[in-house]
Amino acid sequence: MSEEATSAETSKASAKASDTTTAKRSPIIVCRKIVRSFWRAKERLDVLDELDLEIAEGSFEALMGPSGSGKTTLLNLIAGLDRPTSGTLTVAGTEVSAMGDAALARWRSQTIGFVFQHFNLIPVLTALENVELPLLLTSLGSSERKKRAQIALRVVGLEDRMHHRPQQLSGGQEQRVGIARAIVHDPKIIVADEPTGELDRKSADEVLHLLERLNKEFDKTILMVTHDPAAAERATVLRKLDKGKLL
Amino acid sequence: MVPIRYNVRNLLVRRTTTMAAALGVGLVVFVLAASLMLNEGLARTLDQSGSADTAIVLRKGSDSEMPSSVEDKAISLIKVAPGVKSSSDGQPLVLGEVVVVLFQDLANGKGKSNATLRGMPLDRVQVFRPEVKIIEGRMAAPGTDEVVVGARVVGRFKGFEIGQSLDLRKARPVKVVGIFEANGSSFESEVWGDIEYVRSAFGREAVVSSVRVKLESPAVFDGFEVAVERDKQLGLEVLAEPDFYRKQSENTSIFIIAMGTLIAVFFSIGAMIGAMITMYGSVAHRKREIGVLRALGFSRSAIMFSFLLESVLLALLGASLGTLASLGMGLVKFSMLNFTTFSEITFQFTATPEIILRSIIFGGVMGVLGGFLPAIRAARTAPIEAMKG
Amino acid sequence: MTLSGLSIKNIGHNWLRTILTVVGTAIAILSFVLIRTTLSAWEAGVDNAAQDRLSTIHRVTFVMPLPKRYFDEFNGARGRIPGVKASTFMNWVGHKHPTRETEFFATMAVDSGTYFDVYPEMSVPPDQLANWKENRQGAIIGEALANQFGWKVGDDVTLTGTIYPGDWKYKIEGVYEATKKSVDRAQFLTHWDYLNDSLPEGRRDMIGWVASTVDDASRAADISAAIDAKFDDQDIQTRTMSEKAMTMEFLGGASAILSALDIVSLVILGIMMLILGNTIAMGVRERTHEYGVLLALGFRPKHIATFILGEGLFIGLLGGALGLLISYPIVEQGLGRWLEENMGAYFPYFSIPTSVSALALGMAVALAGLAALVPAYSASKLDVITALRRIG
Repeated sequence: MSEEATSAETSKASAKASDTTTAKRSPIIVCRKIVRSFWRAKERLDVLDELDLEIAEGSFEALMGPSGSGKTTLLNLIAGLDRPTSGTLTVAGTEVSAMGDAALARWRSQTIGFVFQHFNLIPVLTALENVELPLLLTSLGSSERKKRAQIALRVVGLEDRMHHRPQQLSGGQEQRVGIARAIVHDPKIIVADEPTGELDRKSADEVLHLLERLNKEFDKTILMVTHDPAAAERATVLRKLDKGKLL
Repeated sequence: MVPIRYNVRNLLVRRTTTMAAALGVGLVVFVLAASLMLNEGLARTLDQSGSADTAIVLRKGSDSEMPSSVEDKAISLIKVAPGVKSSSDGQPLVLGEVVVVLFQDLANGKGKSNATLRGMPLDRVQVFRPEVKIIEGRMAAPGTDEVVVGARVVGRFKGFEIGQSLDLRKARPVKVVGIFEANGSSFESEVWGDIEYVRSAFGREAVVSSVRVKLESPAVFDGFEVAVERDKQLGLEVLAEPDFYRKQSENTSIFIIAMGTLIAVFFSIGAMIGAMITMYGSVAHRKREIGVLRALGFSRSAIMFSFLLESVLLALLGASLGTLASLGMGLVKFSMLNFTTFSEITFQFTATPEIILRSIIFGGVMGVLGGFLPAIRAARTAPIEAMKG
Repeated sequence: MTLSGLSIKNIGHNWLRTILTVVGTAIAILSFVLIRTTLSAWEAGVDNAAQDRLSTIHRVTFVMPLPKRYFDEFNGARGRIPGVKASTFMNWVGHKHPTRETEFFATMAVDSGTYFDVYPEMSVPPDQLANWKENRQGAIIGEALANQFGWKVGDDVTLTGTIYPGDWKYKIEGVYEATKKSVDRAQFLTHWDYLNDSLPEGRRDMIGWVASTVDDASRAADISAAIDAKFDDQDIQTRTMSEKAMTMEFLGGASAILSALDIVSLVILGIMMLILGNTIAMGVRERTHEYGVLLALGFRPKHIATFILGEGLFIGLLGGALGLLISYPIVEQGLGRWLEENMGAYFPYFSIPTSVSALALGMAVALAGLAALVPAYSASKLDVITALRRIG
């Protein structure tokens, strides 16, 4: 993880809600006049409406809002799963909104780590194999891949569950495997969509603690969509979204 | 690339539908492999019958020995043609034979069929067909009413057992004294008797059906052919024995291959649809999973390839089962009418590595074709599916 | 809405899969119908072969000829056989087309005076028949053969001899039409006298076989025995049997192929059942949650089983019906016409028998029902809780 970016001033324009706790670093995510529209029965629906947003590198931000507010849509755009109808979106120095499908896929595999609400582990693969999956898109040899996947599992505290299939794990364990998969290829940004949505309190706390560690110890920029106030509490920045606009 | 074990395990997880689709492919491959094996068996049987240094002389325009007739006096002319080999005692190696079809009761009581009866100078059999072995009883004696029966028709026709007899016509019975093998050739589907006895029984004195000639070497064939065919008066045609047997089986072979291929192609459409249903089901079922793979950065082509591979694996599983089952057919004897000679020939399903390979490849191709559209659908899955509840 | 309505609605649940299954079933049915029709076309030879027409051949083998004088025992020259109405004789001459030698057709040298009395189902216009009888080198050919080689009345044709070597010149004097479907419409009929006079001394006056019609078909066997008894003391004995019996014996030689085709037609039904069973099982598994809801609403497991069974039967019916719908144009119009015109010697009559259609449709429905049984049974064992818990 590079640590050189420490210039102080640049993050001023961003983060209305944030204040003193945020480290003053350059923004890694920049949204300019982002519009994302869907058509339902010939009716245009602007889920995001000329949204501007900057997120500083190394921050842990939570995005909250009622359902239909556009928070998942925003997350999808930032993660490169979707493209804006108009506006520009720059993530980690790359203009995501202008990229083609294949380039976007390659970019995701290097830049983004995903943590899903439903864990989304591949049921037929073991924990270790699931974690190894993103490394298959790199040029690493198989022993090196395995080694890194084991390290990632050690970080989430599940080395002893390496050879278990997802259905042999508890929900909390599944999500920790999901987190290991999100960090194994060392992405700059981790996006988490309701990471605690399916978990009991105790497991949810473990997962949140892990995310905190990733942010602090490994300097990952984390963007998390959540309904859970307890989860939002852990973030360093809290943003609220309603009807396609930041509040 | 998405690892292969991902595909293998998915096939295993969805056991029932995988087996249903694989068995469909397997049945098609079975039909294809069996017909290829049948054709191979036929070709082998007839191939064994010919040797390159032997020429066969027939009346011009005859497809087979049965309708052909060559007069005895033509034989003396053939004997002096260039290239004819002589035996150690200086006799030219020329063998006139008469071939007739016997309409005979089947041993199983289910009607009648045609068996081939070949009359020949029995004392010269060993010179021309050294591969012939008596496996039971003894060789028929020349100039008598004795016959020997080929190993493959013993038990197929009534009266074809040692000690039994059959009537060529009233008051002309022949006695079976032995059973012979001839290296798996079509001779094993015949009955052999003394040439004079057979000729007189059928009123074909002074005429033979065909003349076989041992040549000094295969290279002198052309010279011999020209010399014999030059005399248009005789109206004779010369063929190398292997070519003759290939021609004999041509019609039957085309029939078997055409029928087998037609059926396999028709059936494979059904089986491909079966594979398609399974793969479409699999893609629909794993929509979110595919979305996750796409989100992690796997490209469309990687997903497409992965699903195509899964479909091919499925088809190969079926193809292996089908091929394996078809190998079991090797134990089955098959008797059918040769459409050129109208006589029965018995042969076996014969497997070769090439047939096995071809059948399995055919199965694999079915997997590619059946899996193509589902794989495209999989590749079209948006990464955003990963985020959907 | 009714219960059966619900099960039909379920079929629309996954259109793509339903369509694929119906098409797959239809193709299986098409293949089944095609094979079965081929088999029955072959056997049609037996069914349509005349019971009231006898063939008298050399006792040992049909390749060997009979002396011409044997015929005198039939036609009144030296006697008659009680019960025989009319007789004729002919030789198989086995000519070939000089350039298209692989295209098989039957060439027969017939006794021109009597032939058409014994084969009334071959009809020739009277003027053509009269011309043919006048011209020793004349030939009468079947309409299918005329189409196959583009021959017409008045054409000079040279054929290549096989059994009787040399080039044989004929003039087409007439074309016969078949009034019965069982007639080979690709025969080439020439004068026996012309053949006989062209042969060397030693090969003359031999005939291939005698064909006779009898007054009473039910006495065919007795009359056959009477004919054979007549020649019992001669050098060459005869064997007489009805055309039907002869065809059956000839087909015996192809019996291995026929039974192979028989098995193969069952294989396609197996493939069809796999496709149907697969679809139904997949649908059931995907809808387990839905079934849970139905159970929660108070439906009984037997209702669920009925839905599944009904769905299977309906898909089978659709596939079977579509299969028959495509079979008729493909088998009868396309392939059947082609076979009748180009391979009339093997397949004089190629048409789907009603029994085959009925069997095909019945099989589609029955096997679909059978394929639905297992999923229906296991669904009927579901309990609400497990069913509701299962998603997708």
